[in-house]
Amino acid sequence: MAAKLNRRQFLIRSGMAGAGALSLPALLAACGGDDGGGGNSLFFENWPEYIDSETVALFAKASGVKFKYTDAYNDNNEYFAKVQPLLAKGEKIKADVIAPTFWMASRFVQLGWAQKLPVNKIPNMANLRDDLKGQPWDKDQEYNLPWQTGVAGIAYNVKETGRELGSVEDLFDPAFKGKIGMLTEMRDTMGLVLMGLGKNISQISTFDDAVEAFDKVEKAKNDGQIRAFTGNEYLKPLSAGDFAACVGWSGDVLQLGKDNPNVKFIIPEEGGTSWFDTMIWVTGSENGDAVAKWMDYCYDPVNAARITASVQYMSPVKGVQEELVKLGGEAAALADNPLLFPDEATVARLQSWGALSEEEEAKFDEAFAAITGA
Amino acid sequence: MNATARLATVASRPERVGLGVMLALSIGAIALGAGWVEGPSAAVVAGAMLASVVGLVLVAFVGGLETRRALAPYGLLKPGILWLSLFFLAPLWSMVVMSLSSKESRFDFFPSFTWEWGNYRTALTDFRPQFLRSFGYAAVATVLTILVGFPLAYVIAFRGGKYRNVLLGLVVVPFFTSYLIRTLAWGNILADEGPVVSFIDSLGLTGVLESLNIMDNGKLLNTPAAVIGGLTYNFLPFMVLPIYVSLEKIDPRLVDAAMDLYSSASAAFRKIVVPLALPGIFAGSLLVFIPAAGDFVNAQFLGNPQTTMIGNSIQDQFLRQLNYPVASAMSFVLMFIITIAVLVYTKFMGTEDLA
Repeated sequence: MAAKLNRRQFLIRSGMAGAGALSLPALLAACGGDDGGGGNSLFFENWPEYIDSETVALFAKASGVKFKYTDAYNDNNEYFAKVQPLLAKGEKIKADVIAPTFWMASRFVQLGWAQKLPVNKIPNMANLRDDLKGQPWDKDQEYNLPWQTGVAGIAYNVKETGRELGSVEDLFDPAFKGKIGMLTEMRDTMGLVLMGLGKNISQISTFDDAVEAFDKVEKAKNDGQIRAFTGNEYLKPLSAGDFAACVGWSGDVLQLGKDNPNVKFIIPEEGGTSWFDTMIWVTGSENGDAVAKWMDYCYDPVNAARITASVQYMSPVKGVQEELVKLGGEAAALADNPLLFPDEATVARLQSWGALSEEEEAKFDEAFAAITGA
Repeated sequence: MNATARLATVASRPERVGLGVMLALSIGAIALGAGWVEGPSAAVVAGAMLASVVGLVLVAFVGGLETRRALAPYGLLKPGILWLSLFFLAPLWSMVVMSLSSKESRFDFFPSFTWEWGNYRTALTDFRPQFLRSFGYAAVATVLTILVGFPLAYVIAFRGGKYRNVLLGLVVVPFFTSYLIRTLAWGNILADEGPVVSFIDSLGLTGVLESLNIMDNGKLLNTPAAVIGGLTYNFLPFMVLPIYVSLEKIDPRLVDAAMDLYSSASAAFRKIVVPLALPGIFAGSLLVFIPAAGDFVNAQFLGNPQTTMIGNSIQDQFLRQLNYPVASAMSFVLMFIITIAVLVYTKFMGTEDLA
C-alpha cells in the first residue's frame, strides 16, 4: 500500500481506469439479459423507508437469492413516466418487482405490463387479509400482492393548532390560514375532502361527482389557506411547525410521533381514505422463482411482523398481531395500536376509491394539477 | 467527364470537400439522434463519422500544406458541430415533431404527428400566468443579483488586494454543495420557527414587511419573496464573476485621471467604472435571467401553490400528466420568448461598441 505511484504509472493507470469506464456501458449492455443470473436474483424497487433494516439481508441469507433492494420509487406518476418509454416498447426495466399504489398497479395490469404471479409457489398467500382480496382489477388475485396498507387522515402539530382536531373541516379553519399542507397524491387528499362533504368515495366514478370538492380546495388555495402541496416531504414542515395540520399517512406520522410527541394523527370523524401499496411482477423479468420466494417470505407472519414493527403501517398479512406480541417490548405495544389494528368502528369509517376510467382519471388529474398550481 | 477526372476536380477544392463532409455528417448526427436511422444503418452513420475524423487526422499528417490549410477550419469545427448536432439539434427536432403531435389515448407513448397547432394554443392560454410569473420573478432576481453582486465584485476587484483570489473563492465555495441541498437549507432558514422569522419578530418588523408584501401572514417561507430570494441566491455567482472580470481589467489610473480633471468621485464612477463594467453586467444578466426563468427548484421548495413557475408546469406536464406534446410546445414557447428577450436586450444593451 505504501508504494507511491510515479507520474508515468499514474497516467497509465488512470488511462486504464478511463478505458474501463468507457467499456462499462458495453459490458452492461452485454450482460443486460442475464441480470437474473438463472432466475435466482431479484431486484425490488420500493418506496423510501418502507422496510426494516434486517429483512433484506435475512431474506438473502435464508433463500440464497441475490437480492437487490432500492428505495427509488418515490412517486407513482413519476415512476410511471420513467418506465413507460421502455415498457411501451416491450423492453424490460431493471426492477423485477415494484411497489405501485393500488390504482397505479391496476394501470400496469390493464396495460399488460404485469405478469401473472407464480401463485402455486407462494403458499403463504393464504395469509392475505380477506378485505384486500379480489380487487375489481385483479379479481382472481393473480397479479398483485399488497405490500403495506394504510390510511390517509389528518396529521397535526398540537403546539401550532392549540387544540385537538377531529374533522376534515378543521383543514379549512381560517385560524390555520397559510399553515395547511395537502398531499400531491390526488386520491388521498381529494378522498378526505369528499368524505368531509359527505360523499362515499367508492361510489365516485365521474368527475362531476367530485367537482364540489375540487371547488372547495381551489377556493382554499386562492384564499391562501393551503401553504403547500407535498409528496413524502411533509413530515419536516409538520414537525417544525410550518404546517399546523396536513393530510398525511398513518404510518409516517406514527414513526414521527415517537420523536416529536406534538405530532398526532387522526382519522377524521367523516372518514379516512384507505389505500394499499402492492407488489407486482413487471413484464420482461425472468426471475419468477425468486419473486415467489420473496413474496412467500414477506407473507410469513413472523417476517411481516418484523417489517410492521419498523414501518408501522397496517400489514396485509394475517397473524401479524400475534407475532408482534411475541416480539415483546415496543413491538408488542403496537399490537394494541388502533391505527395498526383498527377496531370495527374505525374500519367502518374507512373508504377506498373505486376504479376510474381512463378519461375520467385524466379529468381528475388535470383538475388537481390546476389546483396544485402546476 | 469520367469518374477519375471528377474526383481530381473535387480533390483540387479541398475546402468544398471539408464543408460538404461536415454538413453531411451533421445531418447524419441529427438522423442518429432523432432516431431516423436504426440498427445497421445507424452503425454506418456512426462509422462514417469516425472515418471522417480519422481522415482528417491522416490529412493533417500526410496532406500538402495547401490542403491542410484549406481543411483546418473544418477540422477544428467538426467536433463542436457534431456534438451539437447529436445532443442539441437532434433533441430539438424531436421536440418540434412532438409539439405538433397528438395522442390517441392518455397512455399512448407514441403520439402521431398531426400538425397539432392546438398544443401551442394550450401552452399559451392555459399557462399564461406561469409564463408571466416566471419572467417577472427572473427579472426581479436579475436586478437583485446586480444590486448585490456589483458592490461585491467592486470590493473584490479594487479593494481585495492580495486577498482577491481568496475572496473570489469564497464566492464560489458554497456552490460546491448541491443546488438542491442549498435550496432545501433555505427552507430551514426561512421556516416559521427558524432564525430569520424570529429575528424579524423580535425587532417588531413583521408588520412592516407584511405591508411591503414580503411577508405573508407572519411567514416568509412559501411566499413569492422566498422564491425570488432563492433565485437571487442561487444565481449570484453568475453575476459576480463576469462583473469582476470586467472590473478587474479597468486601469485604476483612468479614475485618477478623471479626478485630476476635477471630476467628483461619483461622476468618475458613473462615467468610467460603470460603462466599463457594462459588458460584465450584460453577460451576467443573461447568465442569471435565462436559467432563472426556467428554474423549478426554488418554486417547488420555497414557494406555494400560487408561485409555480413555468419550469414546474413543464415538469408536471412531462412527468405527471404524460402530456408530451403540450409539454414540448411549452418548452418551445419558453425558448422562443427567451430568445426574443435576449435579442431585444442585446439590441439595446449590446456591447460591441464598448468592447
